[in-house]
Amino acid sequence: MDLSFDVILGAWIATGLTLFILSFLYEDNPLFKLAEHLYVGVSLGYTIVKTYDTVVMTLIVHPILDKGEWSLLIPVAIGMLMLTRYVPKAAWLSRYAFAFIVGIGAGLAIPRTISSFILKQIEDTVRPLLAAAPGGGITFDYSLLNPASHLNGIIILIGVVSVLFYFFFSVEHSGPGKAVARAGILFLMISFGAAFGYTVMARMSLLIGRLTDLIEFSDASYGRPTLWLFLLTVATLIVLSRRGNAHPPKQ
Amino acid sequence: MSLAERMLRIDRRIIFLVIGLCTLLPLLFPVGLPIKISSEVRGVYDYIENLPEGSVFLLSLDFDPASKPELYPQAIAILRHAFKKNLRVVAMTLWVSGTGLADQILSQTAKEAGKENGKDYVFLGWSPGGSAVILNMGQDLYNAFPADYGGKATKGLPVLAGVQNLRDVTYAVSLGAGNPGVEAWYVFGKDKYKFELGGGCTGVIAPGLYPLLRSGQINGLIGGLRGAAEYETLIGQKGKAVAGMDAQSATHLAIIVLVAICNLFYFSLRRQQRRHDGLGS
Repeated sequence: MDLSFDVILGAWIATGLTLFILSFLYEDNPLFKLAEHLYVGVSLGYTIVKTYDTVVMTLIVHPILDKGEWSLLIPVAIGMLMLTRYVPKAAWLSRYAFAFIVGIGAGLAIPRTISSFILKQIEDTVRPLLAAAPGGGITFDYSLLNPASHLNGIIILIGVVSVLFYFFFSVEHSGPGKAVARAGILFLMISFGAAFGYTVMARMSLLIGRLTDLIEFSDASYGRPTLWLFLLTVATLIVLSRRGNAHPPKQ
Repeated sequence: MSLAERMLRIDRRIIFLVIGLCTLLPLLFPVGLPIKISSEVRGVYDYIENLPEGSVFLLSLDFDPASKPELYPQAIAILRHAFKKNLRVVAMTLWVSGTGLADQILSQTAKEAGKENGKDYVFLGWSPGGSAVILNMGQDLYNAFPADYGGKATKGLPVLAGVQNLRDVTYAVSLGAGNPGVEAWYVFGKDKYKFELGGGCTGVIAPGLYPLLRSGQINGLIGGLRGAAEYETLIGQKGKAVAGMDAQSATHLAIIVLVAICNLFYFSLRRQQRRHDGLGS
């Protein structure tokens, strides 16, 4: 397999930075710091360049100069008011820009969020506990594996009510109320457990992704960067560790 | 020092090494554990499978390279499926830092399927505004994206024939690693412009999206690397996600064992201390 120079160079850089970042698992070291600073710098630089190209050039400069869309100067002027924050005497002008952004943002988000996350979710929580059967009569679905089953509907209803009661602090949680609040804690613990389980899965997926790439880049067609850079990283860590032992930091 | 005390004070680098080996060994020597398809992943697959040829399929790649291991295989699998079904693919991103990666994913999959830019697919790139871009696209797609990623005017592109705004989109899928992502596409897109929506996400945010799935606000959800592996299995093209499933299972098993052992030693130590305190008094 013949690979172009830029692909091979990319593989060496990716492998080196991956190993440098993973070296933090042993201990904090200059290689990790180098990779960390490069990551922050490159991602910020990339974002600035893309934003400049897309916003300033494509959406502002070209339409104004090529198509004469001078009305675009109005949002540009509002945006420029943001920069007055750097001039103490004119900083008050930036409030107009913020007022515009907050007003537009709240106006757009509030009705849509209420509709999507509150009304729709309430509608789903209080759905009928029984369903009409096609041939007459009523049915009840007991399947725990079907998220939309009636049994799961009842469990969700109990969960929502008990968790809401748990966070209702105006009434003392005693007697029957204590049982409901305890049920609420139980539902919360289950949801935290599920969220943590998914988080562990996601973090392991990231490790799998990096190790998959390291295995791929250990191929001879790339010049075996995984092998050479692993040796380099280990050697550097040994040297740094010995130097640290020889010159312990002053207390 | 008792065994329990020694184990609870174990050097954490040993645990890192165990997890590393549990991940690396199955990647080098795969076992091929079976992958069961969940109804939420099948929801997305079935909808795309039943779309007529030439339908407009919008894929929003709302992630950046930090989420690549989970969402890259999802994107590749969905695009392969969409191209196989000869859908008109309109791709975009709401994350500026993910623009290059999204372009690479689309170009690579399109080249593999022999599809032509502008005719069979288009990459609109990124536009500022976050969630407001979705509302803008709902009013007028050409206003939100006057030009595609390559700088070509979007108006007149064969792939966008008959598409004026989001109401003309047959199916949309957002592969999101956070905000803006799947939720934003529902709130500002589907709820207002009434197109069908599916989602794909990282494992971290998947539990938060299940309420949307149950209430029918999204018709399917591909969660994390596991979801990607299921989708790869469904389309019959096993890739990076399926390859990682053995490692995922091995690491999960290792973590469960470590949690169990840790608890065992913790309770053993507590019992020893109580006995010691009892003798002392």
